[in-house]
Amino acid sequence: MPARNAQQWSRPPSGLKPGEYVDSRIYSDNDIFEEELQKIWKKTWIPVCHESELAKPYDFRTMTIAREPIIVVRGSDNRVRAFLNVCPHRGNMIERRPSGSFAEGTPSGNPKRMTCMFHAWQFDMKGNCVFISRQEEGYQDRLCPKDVGLRRLRCEVYFGGFVWVCLDDKVDKTVAEWAAGCLDCLQPSLDAEPLEVFHYHKAIIPCNYKLWHDTNCEFYHDYLHYHNRITGFNDAYFARKNSGFDNGHINVGSFEVQYDKYEGFESRANVSFPSLPPNHWYMIDMFPGANFNLRGSALRCDLMTPLAPDKVLIEFRGLGLKSDSPETRRARVEHHNTIWGPFGRNLHEDLLAVSGQGAAMDSRAEHRHILHGRHENETIHDENGMRHFYDEWGRWMDRSPGNPDQRYREGHNQPGVSA
Amino acid sequence: MAWKKACSVNDVAVDTLRKFDVGGVGVLVANLGDEFKAYPPACPHMEEPLEQSGVCSGGLLTCTKHLWQWDMRTGEQRAPAEKPLLMYDVRLDGDDVMVNVEHELEYEYEEEDDDDFEW
Repeated sequence: MPARNAQQWSRPPSGLKPGEYVDSRIYSDNDIFEEELQKIWKKTWIPVCHESELAKPYDFRTMTIAREPIIVVRGSDNRVRAFLNVCPHRGNMIERRPSGSFAEGTPSGNPKRMTCMFHAWQFDMKGNCVFISRQEEGYQDRLCPKDVGLRRLRCEVYFGGFVWVCLDDKVDKTVAEWAAGCLDCLQPSLDAEPLEVFHYHKAIIPCNYKLWHDTNCEFYHDYLHYHNRITGFNDAYFARKNSGFDNGHINVGSFEVQYDKYEGFESRANVSFPSLPPNHWYMIDMFPGANFNLRGSALRCDLMTPLAPDKVLIEFRGLGLKSDSPETRRARVEHHNTIWGPFGRNLHEDLLAVSGQGAAMDSRAEHRHILHGRHENETIHDENGMRHFYDEWGRWMDRSPGNPDQRYREGHNQPGVSA
Repeated sequence: MAWKKACSVNDVAVDTLRKFDVGGVGVLVANLGDEFKAYPPACPHMEEPLEQSGVCSGGLLTCTKHLWQWDMRTGEQRAPAEKPLLMYDVRLDGDDVMVNVEHELEYEYEEEDDDDFEW
């Protein structure tokens, strides 16, 4: 078949059905992106950090979800709570540091309180307003601290100590219900004993957040990974299942990795996580953009914060057990870095691919179809994971991923020819 | 009685405050010129460390964060302060400033409960 002209290019391959491709505008269109923030990111449970990153009372971390500034704090009662990081007085961002502790005072504040530097209003770790400067002089009896508490956010610590936040007060599911079983494969390993973050880096990648999620949802891009090609493949590798769960989540089934057959690698059997068969590897991709990846001895977690259609902030964490001896921890860090570090096997290559997709998806570029049509018995080179994700995406957005001008149901019932 | 040495009379200049560890208890010692006084180290308002935020002048202690004031000799509050200063008994033993720290004195800082938070 020769190359195609513009009209031919604008149609998906005739053998593929709706659901087996998406329109590139879902990755590049600014209006669609803004709609995703409102309809998906402000409505679903988002993991934002790990509780070991706020280990002591009065420790905090700040982040954003759908551009809303968030602060997560640990109270004197050890409970982790989340609030909008916004002062109820004049709307100033209360805390600007990425992380720290309120145990010591700040120049305009006091120990154990959050202080807005603008007019010195203060809040405790439960979000109560506890001080309004010159309150009676200015407000007489018209306004008092109980009228101006912080906006509290739904927050749960769940699945090995990850901190989850939902901006929707009326969210009708717990995190466990939202996960719908997709975390079950790793829950015994992660909940056996407290975990600790030993690696953190973040990067802003020039691509749509869903492109990063896509690479985590299929292994067909083994062809991208040089080391996977030359050492990783065997029948068990290909036989792994990619299973879908409600709410758009997927699992990549486990198998035993022969790490000792990799050049320069060692078996991870004696430092594998609790309850995990030695050297086994599980990966979970959660809608709309979180990834948990346990390779025997080291857990990696990617949390995404979409910033623009073509920009995503990804926070990469590596975790081990809090009880690790120094030797065990060193082994976990090395195992983490040999896969996901700057000179590791995989991560840099994934970044090359998604930034290449991002470079070809300017918001004004001619749109095209991105194909998710591989069927390989729902194993890892199948693209059922992405189809499952985009079906969920379509429901939340009420848009057809294959033609976002159509409503979700219409796209389901009509042959997918987009204009 | 649990009298313990907090410091020597020369350790605290007139009209200043210094915090000392007295057998594991933090104690703030003030020198009023003709008298030494001892208080818990935190401001009764918002737990500010008074060693840093407190200013002593004319027998008055002012916390510079929200301008609460006290009579340093009696601990009595002056507006806008809403709580008095707690005080430890002090006596001089030669050059030693002795403080009676039988029990650590602490202020109660209220934190409202949020168990019944409504979404």
